[in-house]
Amino acid sequence: MPTIILETLHLTRRYGDLLAVRDLSLQVQEGEIFGFLGPNGAGKTTSIHMMCGLLRPDEGEVRIAGRRVQGGDPELRAQIGMCPQTNILWSKLTCLEQLEFSGQMYGLPGRLARRRGQELLETFGLAEKRHKLAGSLSGGMQRRLNLALALVHGPRILVLDEPEAGLDPQSRLLVREYIRAWAGAEGRTVILTTHNMDEAERLAERVAIIDHGALLVLDTPEALKRRLGEGDVLEIELAGDGGPPTEQALPVVKPLSQQVNLLGQTLVLRERNMVEKITPLTQALQGAGFQVGAVHLRANSLEDVFIGLTGRSLRE
Amino acid sequence: MTHLSRLWNIFRITWLEQRRSPWDLLMVLLLAPAFLYMYWAFMGGGSTSYKVLVINSDRDPCPVGGAGQSCAEQAIQRMSQLTYRGGTPILRLTLLEERSEAEKRLRDRTAAALVIFPEEFSRAISAARLGQPPPEASVVLVGDLANPYYSVAAIMTSATLEDYLRQVTNQPRPVQISEQPLGGSGSRSEFEMYVPGLLIAAVTMMIFSVTIAVTRQIESGTVRRLQLTRMTAFDFLGGISLMYLWIALLSVALSILTAQALGFRSQGPLWLAWLIYVLTALASIGAGLITACFSGTAARAAIIANFPLMLLLFFSGAVFPLPQVRLFTIAGRTIGLFDLLPHTHAVTALNKVLSLGSGVSEIGFELAALAVLCVAYFAAGVWLFQRMHMRAR
Repeated sequence: MPTIILETLHLTRRYGDLLAVRDLSLQVQEGEIFGFLGPNGAGKTTSIHMMCGLLRPDEGEVRIAGRRVQGGDPELRAQIGMCPQTNILWSKLTCLEQLEFSGQMYGLPGRLARRRGQELLETFGLAEKRHKLAGSLSGGMQRRLNLALALVHGPRILVLDEPEAGLDPQSRLLVREYIRAWAGAEGRTVILTTHNMDEAERLAERVAIIDHGALLVLDTPEALKRRLGEGDVLEIELAGDGGPPTEQALPVVKPLSQQVNLLGQTLVLRERNMVEKITPLTQALQGAGFQVGAVHLRANSLEDVFIGLTGRSLRE
Repeated sequence: MTHLSRLWNIFRITWLEQRRSPWDLLMVLLLAPAFLYMYWAFMGGGSTSYKVLVINSDRDPCPVGGAGQSCAEQAIQRMSQLTYRGGTPILRLTLLEERSEAEKRLRDRTAAALVIFPEEFSRAISAARLGQPPPEASVVLVGDLANPYYSVAAIMTSATLEDYLRQVTNQPRPVQISEQPLGGSGSRSEFEMYVPGLLIAAVTMMIFSVTIAVTRQIESGTVRRLQLTRMTAFDFLGGISLMYLWIALLSVALSILTAQALGFRSQGPLWLAWLIYVLTALASIGAGLITACFSGTAARAAIIANFPLMLLLFFSGAVFPLPQVRLFTIAGRTIGLFDLLPHTHAVTALNKVLSLGSGVSEIGFELAALAVLCVAYFAAGVWLFQRMHMRAR
């Protein structure tokens, strides 16, 4: 049976009239990469700040390794490494100085903090910049240094708030590989918040999707995709003017595919072996007087699950 | 778009931004009026009563007035009858027996001047009235010439005495009025008078440096990052305070050396003055920590820090004197409202050392009060910071 490293029990937090997190109960297993997904303003950051002990829940509690997190318990907080969404750096300290300082503030002896700092700079491709002031680094380098600061004290749980935001593709790959390798070591757990579905799908072993402060689903990405409908997604754009109203396309394709939605001018169909149905579907639509534009066939993704659960309306 | 319309647009958006920071705007608008009102209120509506100590050695009956009074008693009565238009007395007189006790009060600045009537005062007046050569007699005015209240009290006293003498003898000055400066205050140049206050103002400016140093970390989020470590509010503020104390040690030493090079002479030991300045700097650092807790951002800190700065400078006697607002008496010592400001004790102690030549034993109370208030300010800063910035919110 997997060990539960972090657990939230009926976690609730309000900001005035706004209910930011509502009765959130979930368990994070030791050694897993746990994805925390949600649109902007869904309550992800508030939730992880409560998990880290930076925010006090109005109701409910957080337990780390079975112990209740009190706001001021430094022992428990030191087990967490937190990489915030925005870069929080000492701009007038060099890369190495701030890693060394941060490590020492967590209680590491000076030499060990320095060694860890040097190792992390090496890992994140910042070794050459070790004596450069953080304020003089590029945005991507600052982002990597921000992550290194969360790791310097050797935490058991790494909490990453939008870890790939602001990274170029090379840095993104580097960070993603590092997170995977880091979590591979025994007893280490990663909790990451993101609204980048690709990031979550590639990294997370289990995913929780929250919206309006409430937990909607929690499962592996594969299971979530299965829940939405196994197979492929076919998107058919209906182009041109003068044809029948687009809503009339739904009864045309229903006999060929049961799971169909109309999103604007696009028909979205989900089915196994969809490739075999492309020709009959386009022929049926053309026969009914519709002009068929671009046709895209792709695998069912976590993004489909996400959009299916949280809707398409803009947030914040 | 003309220059004028662009200028107007800039004015408009600056006004909109300012209006949307109502507390900042309010503070800028209310700072001077609030301090003016406070000063007026503590000054008793603008009518200061100067505390004058009197030692009366004249026991002989006065040839005028009768009722067995001595001439000194009549003069004292005349002094006590001096009032402002509203009826507030100009001089508040206290009769004492011992000169040492009186001088202690002058050093502590709990009194502005001391008037000593000689035992020959009535006899000298009698002789003058009879046209005989008067015995040698002199009313002595004693005071700290560095105390701005002294000059007013001395002028009012001597004018009243001269008026009384002229009235009872019909002679311009049958009794001499002489002045004895307290300690070395008589030999101070104007520059030397200003140096202690200037240095107090300089170390008080540390409030800004400390407030901005702390708020910069709050604003950038590094405090939040450190909140996850084992750091406590004491560690954080203690470290920052230590850094600024180090700067204060150097800055005060440099300032004193500069003052000396420019001709400043201290009547008392310079190391003691340096110690007082360092304690004052430490108290200013404490005030800066408290201010930082309420500031949040460095920009706001630059506005809010003016409050403690003005409070510590203008209500401690560093810039101009203020009357004492009594709170309570402990072990025979009256504690006033402004005694809660460390700078009040610093001003008194520095004056004693630099102008009056006092040593450690004579400023024991001030040093102790300064040290206690430094600790209290720092503790208040730590407590507030812990509550406002270190706890889970």
